Parts: sequence; C-alpha cells; structure tokens
Amino acid sequence: MTETLFEKIWNSHIVVEKENEPSLIYIDRHLIHEVTSPQAFDGLRANHRDVRRRDLTVATIDHNVPTTDRSLPMIDETSSTQIKTLEKNCKDFGIKLFGINDPNQGIVHVIGPQLGITLPGSTIVCGDSHTSTQGAFGAFAFGIGTSEVEHTLATQTLWLEKPKTFEILATGKRKNSFAITSKDIILSIIKQIGTDGGTGHVLEYRGDAITDLSMEQRMTICNMSIEAGSRAGLIAPDEKTYDYLNNRMYTPKNYDDLVDDWKKNLMSDANSKFDKSFTIDVEKIEPQVSWGTNPAMVSDVTGKIPTPEDFGQNNEIQIESAKKALLYMDLKPDTPIIEIPIDRVFIGSCTNARLEDLKDAAEIVKGKTVNSDVGAIVVPGSQMVKLEAEKLGLDKIFKDANFEWRESGCSMCLGMNPDILKPGERCASTSNRNFEGRQGSGGRTHLVSPVMAAASAIAGHFVDVREWC
Amino acid sequence: MIGNVIKYERDNIDTDVIIPGTYLKIHDYNELATHAMEGLDPDFPSKVKDGDFIVAGKNFGCGSSREHAPIALSTCGIKAVIATSFARIFYRNSVDGAFLLPIEIDDETYQKISNSDKLEINIEKNEIKNITKNEIYTMKPFSEIIAKIIAAGGLFKYKK
Repeated sequence: MTETLFEKIWNSHIVVEKENEPSLIYIDRHLIHEVTSPQAFDGLRANHRDVRRRDLTVATIDHNVPTTDRSLPMIDETSSTQIKTLEKNCKDFGIKLFGINDPNQGIVHVIGPQLGITLPGSTIVCGDSHTSTQGAFGAFAFGIGTSEVEHTLATQTLWLEKPKTFEILATGKRKNSFAITSKDIILSIIKQIGTDGGTGHVLEYRGDAITDLSMEQRMTICNMSIEAGSRAGLIAPDEKTYDYLNNRMYTPKNYDDLVDDWKKNLMSDANSKFDKSFTIDVEKIEPQVSWGTNPAMVSDVTGKIPTPEDFGQNNEIQIESAKKALLYMDLKPDTPIIEIPIDRVFIGSCTNARLEDLKDAAEIVKGKTVNSDVGAIVVPGSQMVKLEAEKLGLDKIFKDANFEWRESGCSMCLGMNPDILKPGERCASTSNRNFEGRQGSGGRTHLVSPVMAAASAIAGHFVDVREWC
Repeated sequence: MIGNVIKYERDNIDTDVIIPGTYLKIHDYNELATHAMEGLDPDFPSKVKDGDFIVAGKNFGCGSSREHAPIALSTCGIKAVIATSFARIFYRNSVDGAFLLPIEIDDETYQKISNSDKLEINIEKNEIKNITKNEIYTMKPFSEIIAKIIAAGGLFKYKK
C-alpha cells in the first residue's frame, strides 16, 4: 500500500490506535514561548505533575520582547511579568530557555531550524499557530492551544484525529526568481483555495517549483499553511534540507546515519493518494499585495482593488465581507494597487525575517532612502540572523537608508510589544496576517514579500518590484 | 442548554478580533473578558448575558492559537459558538479546556437563526430548537473524540 509523507510520519508516531477513537501520537519536539505557556505550567503545579521529557522541550521569549535597546529596563510591566514567569517556569522544571539576552534568542519558528531542533520525519508542536513553518523540513509541525501544551509537557503525547492529506503541486518556473518570491507563491495559493481551503488537512507542497526553493523560502510557504486553515504544511526533505541542518547546536551525533534513513523513507510514495489536490503554475505568478482583512484577499501588484461584487462572485457573505474589508482598509474599488500610499513598513516576523529575506530587501534598498512620509523598521527573526546580517553589513545598508535596525522578536506582526501601528496607519508588512487590528487597533496591514516591502518603503507607495531589478 | 443569540453575519472571525494581541499578557480571566470581541464589537462585554450563544459564519476562530480567545468568550458567559465551520485550533481549545461548545451547523440553519433568538441546544439529540421561531434544526454531530472529551469535561479528565 502506498503512503504519503504525512501518513508515514503519522504512522511512525502512533502510541495508541483504536478504530473510531482518536490516536495518541508521540511528540518529538516541544517548543515553548511566554504567551501560551503560563497556564500550562500552573496546571502542572496544581496537579503535582512534572515535565516528562525536558530534554525534548525548548523555550524562548519572542512575542513580548522589546526590539529596542535591551540593556534598558522594560517599560511594560505586564510584558515583563510574563517574561519573568517563563524564566521561573523553565528554572523550576529544568527546561532549556534561550532567554532575552541569549545570543540564540529569536522567534521560536526561526530558532527551531537554526539550532537544528527541527528534524525531518519528526512531530513538532508549539503553542503557536505558525509552528507549521517547520514543516519545510519534512516534519509534521503544528500549533496547539494551552491545554495541549500542558498535555504535552506532562505526557509528551497528544490525542489527535488524523488529518486528511492535500497535495499542492507547484509547477513551472518563476519568471523573475528575485522579484517573485515564495511569499508570492503562498499568497497566490491562499487567494485561490481560500482561508478555509485546507481545513482538516495537512498540505504537502510538491513539484519542481517547490524543490527549486531554498530552505528559508520553503519555510515562508509552510509558515502560511495555517492561513489556509490547514493543520500543517510540509515539504519532503532533500539535499538542501540535510545540508541546512548539518552541524547545528542540536544536530544529533548520528546525523549521517539518520540522513541515510531519511533518504530511503521520507517521501510520498509514487502514486500515493491524496484526499485533495490543487495545482498552481508559478510562471503566471506576479508580486502579490493583500488589500483586505484576511490573507485570501490578495491582488497582483498590477491589479486594482476589486469591487465587492467581483470578489464575492454571487456569494452574499463574501460580498459583505469585502465591503467591510474595504471600509476598514479605507480603500475604493478600481484603485490601482500601485497608487496606494503607505505610512509604515515592517520587515520581520516568522514568515519573512530570515537572512535571505534581509539580504534580498537590502539589495533593493542599497544606496536609496526611505520616503520621507514613511517610517520603516527591520526586525531580524533571531539574534543569530541579526549577527549574520551585521557581518554582511546589511544593518549599515538599512540604517543609511533610514530604516530602523532592531533586536529580534515577533514585534509588529501582532502588536504585543511597543511596535504597533497607530489607528488609520497603513503598513506594507512582510508578516502573515492582515486581520483587523492585528498590528495595532485601527492599523491597516498589506501583506507583501520583503523585496516588495523594501521597494515600497523607498517609493512611499506600492510598486512593482520587477521594475527595480 | 438555553440561551439567546448574538449573531455576527461574518466569515473568518479571527482570534485577533476575539481578543487582540495586546491583551495576551493578561492572566486574570475576568479582566480578559472585559476585552472580548473588542476588535469587532467593543460593546460585546456589556451586552452579553450569561448563557448566551454566538452565531457566525465559516472558519470561526481562525488565526492565532491563543487559548485566551475561548477563555474570554466563556468568562463573559458564552456557552456555545454556533458556526458553519471552525478553525481547528480554536475548536480544540474550546473543548480541551471545557470553555464552551463549538457547534457546527449548515448554511441553511445559519440563515434561519436571527440575532436575539432564544435557542435550546440538545447535544444528545444533535438538535437545536429555536424557541422564538418554533423551529428545530439539526447540528453536525461531534466526532467520537470530541464527544468523549466534552463528556469528560476537558482534555485532562479524558481517559484519566
């Protein structure tokens, strides 16, 4: 019988399986951050439970951290309390923490792969929906809630219903592989399959247009799988995957043997059956810009803001939601995307704040200056990314162009730290969610790739970055 | 279980509008509840009554995994969210913590239920009775695992 990659990973992690019952699945790696873990640790204490596998559990602090000078005391007391709580919990339960001043601190989904915690064929959870990022390494990586965090801490297992499988086949070759990025591929996919297109499914991205991508680009794709409603997204590992994970802090000692084994097993069998399938030709993809308040409300950069009727296609609820989105975004139908002015630019987040993202954005910015009406920041995904970028002189390129160069963290992606939009401000953002108020109450978010964000910062409005390179 | 409906005719009600990110630092449930639905309907905490149900369109609770979302709604008094579909993490969070019941209905039922209707939910019969309109609807049955977790009173009591 043939099996998909996901089914192979699932089957090799079953602890208990009975017909018409959920399966108890073993969890190989558990990542923790300060926001979704406090009640889980409270629960352990209340029930006199311990952490079952502290060696498989790793914590960092990312959502709350200020991205300005960390030698100064934190102004926000509640953030400071949440951070201290995680520090105490990790100390009490003996969990490794990459804390606020650690050189390996960073966004949890950025440091997982960077430290070699993420491994092909493994099951990975974190109390964070963007855990799907790590599926880029051929892992079943998915976000969970706090009750499940507590369950994983206590048992290293989870009761799960088996998701269905969904093949996303990406064919063809991007017409301009610098200006048209993996962010544009995933936004195009979500635009077409919708924000609930993947509900109940694990996506497997396949095809030449996927294997063509670097590991960091693949992470951007898997990161946004959750925005299509899917349980997780994954990509079969290959030489690029194995090279990336070699010689990292947590890379296992018997790595070469593991790679030999993975090469034999970690792929969907030929002719394996997926529950659903969708094909996209990347040759037709242009740079993408979101115009609405969910990640399926997206347009080609050469396009115009749609009318609610065009967007809704006879679906009353969709038409209504487009009307509400345009009202919130203060946009009028038929406005060309490239005529929309912006106030802020955010290059950061677990979607697009890795070294390649910053390198590509810097390539656009080099020798130019941010438009005087725009405030622009770059927030590296981890302290390691920041250090590597500084070694390449990227910080200087950004600062010379009037970008702010910050410390690493989630920052303006979700508005938990002081990096937020003011009401009414319009932002070109490399993050993953354009929900109402996501980047600050009343803030208006347009999702774009790092190169699109960089070029728009210079111009003061959206531009077709293909004309810039 | 009897309660009144607060209806939002929207798809994709995300956890960022249910409880905006800035409040995720709050640990006190009662304080969290004062910000429930703030991103969509700031009057919600003042108008919601204990026992009420939220009715909404598809993909309810999409986005962030924050368990603060069902906690905030439940602490306000919401006993069930009735929607045409749910995002998975919100769905499991609601059930795992025994915060509220996530109930799936079809589009037709969704259209029939109006704001302020009084409903009676009977999960044994998979039935919703609209007391105001004197109509009876079918809800989608819970899967085996979800029914068992609900019956146990949350994930930790399940298979204990």
